[in-house]
Amino acid sequence: MLATAAVVGYGLHTGFQRSARGADLPNVIARFDRQPLSRVAPRIEALPDLAAFAFRLEVTNVDLIGGAHRSREGVVEVLSPGRRGFDLLAGRELSVRPGEAIVEQGVARSWGLRLGSRLLLDGLGALRVVGIAESPDNVAFPLAAPRIYLSRPALDARFGVERDPQVNVAELWLKDPRQLDQVLGQARASSYGLRGLRVITRDGVRVLLDQAAGIVIALLVALSAIALLTAAVMLGASARAEVERRLAGIGVRRAIGAGRAHIALTHAVEAAIVSIPAGGLGVGVGYLVARGPSDRLLEAINELPPGVGLLAPLAGCWALTALIPVLASGWPALRASRRPPIALMRGAELGGRRGGRSLLGRVRLGGNLVGLAALGARLVSARRVRLLATLAVLGVSVGFILLMLALASELNTLQSDPGSLGKRYQLTASLPAAAVPQVRRLSGIAAVAPRYEVQALDSFSLGETIDLIGYPGDHTIFEAPPLVSGHRLGSDSGAEVGRGLAQVLGLRPGSTVAVELPSGHEARFRVAGIVDSLQHDGRVVYVSSRALLASEPSAQEQLAVRLSAGASPVAVTRRLAALGAKPKATGGATDRGRSLIAALTAILRAVAIVDGLVCIYALIQALFLTARERRSTIAVLRACGADAGAVRVLLGGAAVAAVAPAALIGVLLERFVLGPAMARLAIGYASLELSAGSGEIAAVLAGLAVLAAAAVLWVARQAGREPIVVALS
Amino acid sequence: MVSLLQACGVVKRVGRGRASSEVLAGVDLDVQEGELVAVLGRSGSGKSTLLHLLGGLDRPDAGSITLAGQSLLGCSQRELTRIRLRRIGFVFQSFQLIEEMSGEENVLLPAGLPGAPPGGALRARNLIEELGVGAVASHLPHELSGGEQQRFAIARALVNEPALVLADEPTGNLDSVAARDLLAILRGLTAAGRSVIMVTHERDVAGAADRVLEMVDGRLR
Repeated sequence: MLATAAVVGYGLHTGFQRSARGADLPNVIARFDRQPLSRVAPRIEALPDLAAFAFRLEVTNVDLIGGAHRSREGVVEVLSPGRRGFDLLAGRELSVRPGEAIVEQGVARSWGLRLGSRLLLDGLGALRVVGIAESPDNVAFPLAAPRIYLSRPALDARFGVERDPQVNVAELWLKDPRQLDQVLGQARASSYGLRGLRVITRDGVRVLLDQAAGIVIALLVALSAIALLTAAVMLGASARAEVERRLAGIGVRRAIGAGRAHIALTHAVEAAIVSIPAGGLGVGVGYLVARGPSDRLLEAINELPPGVGLLAPLAGCWALTALIPVLASGWPALRASRRPPIALMRGAELGGRRGGRSLLGRVRLGGNLVGLAALGARLVSARRVRLLATLAVLGVSVGFILLMLALASELNTLQSDPGSLGKRYQLTASLPAAAVPQVRRLSGIAAVAPRYEVQALDSFSLGETIDLIGYPGDHTIFEAPPLVSGHRLGSDSGAEVGRGLAQVLGLRPGSTVAVELPSGHEARFRVAGIVDSLQHDGRVVYVSSRALLASEPSAQEQLAVRLSAGASPVAVTRRLAALGAKPKATGGATDRGRSLIAALTAILRAVAIVDGLVCIYALIQALFLTARERRSTIAVLRACGADAGAVRVLLGGAAVAAVAPAALIGVLLERFVLGPAMARLAIGYASLELSAGSGEIAAVLAGLAVLAAAAVLWVARQAGREPIVVALS
Repeated sequence: MVSLLQACGVVKRVGRGRASSEVLAGVDLDVQEGELVAVLGRSGSGKSTLLHLLGGLDRPDAGSITLAGQSLLGCSQRELTRIRLRRIGFVFQSFQLIEEMSGEENVLLPAGLPGAPPGGALRARNLIEELGVGAVASHLPHELSGGEQQRFAIARALVNEPALVLADEPTGNLDSVAARDLLAILRGLTAAGRSVIMVTHERDVAGAADRVLEMVDGRLR
């Protein structure tokens, strides 16, 4: 578990920096609507502190065929001479010869393309793959569209030199990345007239990826801590039992003059002889198990695997796994050797056994199966420290399993449920506002209104874009993100602002938000209220459509369609299509990253399963150690006529004593500690309810009960195999 | 007198290969109902091994053991468990009371097992009173004297009304007064029609039995 966490966690944590360095990723990537190079180049050249720059033409929705695969959403990057900003994993650079292409590694892997393979590109015909690339500025195919790179000189050689080629991407490398703010400010000042400008920095890419990877890393670290705690507690208990078994031998050695340190050292060395190879084996197995999925995950997000860099964390894991048993053996031996040799030779105990000081106290045991189960509970609770540790391990594990299931469910909801954005309309239709009365007459429709949306930039700092949304009249009929402060939109000069944007710009009700629209005009609105919105990280502004259209008449227009209760979306979609609209189902907050979310959800569920394995390990260990220590008790029971079923009832009582409180701890931990903490970690710009539902809790508790039953059956079977006379002796 | 237990040519080996040795080399034994039999022998002579075989806790390598007409050799583990529950009571050398249970709860334990005869709770109370440990019935084992612990151990052996009581060094951990009291109790059991086999290495303890058999070289004399 530790090695698995190290492989995945280290790989994800360091992946971006490694890949960005390898790919020579630009400090700034600016995308804009297609422009002649002559119009953009002077503005870029005038920027301060530039080490280099390069231009590309990015063509999207291209028909691309590779082998038996085809995509109509291909992306072709036409590279001008200069630095390229991606890593070449195999093959060579593009030459000036026509018919050559470099493919992104995700495409090569998914489509089975190798160096020399042929690609068919709509309009260009056959291309030969001469290189395979990795670019960490975006995730890989199939999480993103398939991407290939072509050389502009090669295109010029085939079609003739273009006098003033079109470009829509500029890559900037700075001499001093610390000057990024000044460069961005200067770029902002000189960007007027460039429509559709979107800028992302190298740090911006890293932050986006870290947000996704950070949750996985945090969960893996927490799981490793649980696994380590479990292993430490169980190894400690096991070592203690072993020392107890060998007390007479320790007494003899003390009697013939062995010192305490010598005895402790002997036990520690014995443990090391086992733990060093066993730890190495465990770390090796963990590495082998995790390396494949981890590398695939890194490939999926276009990052490089860590390679030899992983040696140091794995060595640390090995040292830790070897050290724990050494300490767990040496310490009880040192403690035991404090006793007088004669007491040790008589088989004295390490202490804490007699006296019935169990956590259950002196609960009266009935003379029936319930009494037997209660005895089991009392046996396991007699080892108070171990029981508390087991409760902690199981409780935290249950809490994390619930958290991961809640996270996976929340991700699914965010992905598929428009309600997660406060959206109350289910369909959009590409029809003009004039078609509203016609659409309203269709059956199955509760409300319809034109919805206008435009991407703007805030006027004070260059960065992420802002979604400006406008409705005529009350927008809460169609979109009602929860109001955090202030009041709803009441006039054309007012705006409801998403909390994400309010946090970035320090906005409050009464403040003014100024945005730069694609047309180059600036619009100012008074903040009426702050709303909780997950759309676009909360960088959203609701205004009246009249105010929006006054500043940006070309705002994207579509109809928002809210269905009547019980209406079939399929039937309404058909009716809308009959009017000539292109109806589209409304997506959730993460609709654009559906594949990545699916991958993350799968990882979370897989980690939950691993956590479940930690649970069963902790349970089996706790029961096994109890059965081992109390073998004479079980033997007496069997000698008195207890059958295998009675032994199972006894151990079942022990399991219930550990599982029932742990389940309660886990549920409370998730509900009141882990869920809120993770919600704050994941999204700081909105209130996210991250708590497991009753179905998930019931499923986890049922799973825990099954695990406990399996552990009881296995341990009871082991206990039943030991001859009674051996256990009695 | 009716024969309750018969052992014939019982052999038990321990170890394997060249290290193998016969602990019991053909033991024959016949115990009547209501008889107190003592098996005397040195430490390591195989007395306890014989007791374990007679009680169905272990299986012999050769020979036969019959309890009330039923052969123990052909029994499955489940059947042996049932026989131990209803027909055999064990008194162990070091009492083997369960530390987390009071004296009374220890006595009740076999009576609560599935298949135990009904009325165990009443029998347990009566036995505790008869053996004179009613005042300390709620005490945990470590709060009891050796003699009291052994009385609870005997009560536990008797709670399901077994026909045969097997006692392994029952006076081994007792002082002379407690040992004398215990022998009187065992003697009293035979008066109620139960058979008792006790193994001991103390000749004067064995002297209290109806019949004394000595274990020498893996055989009974």
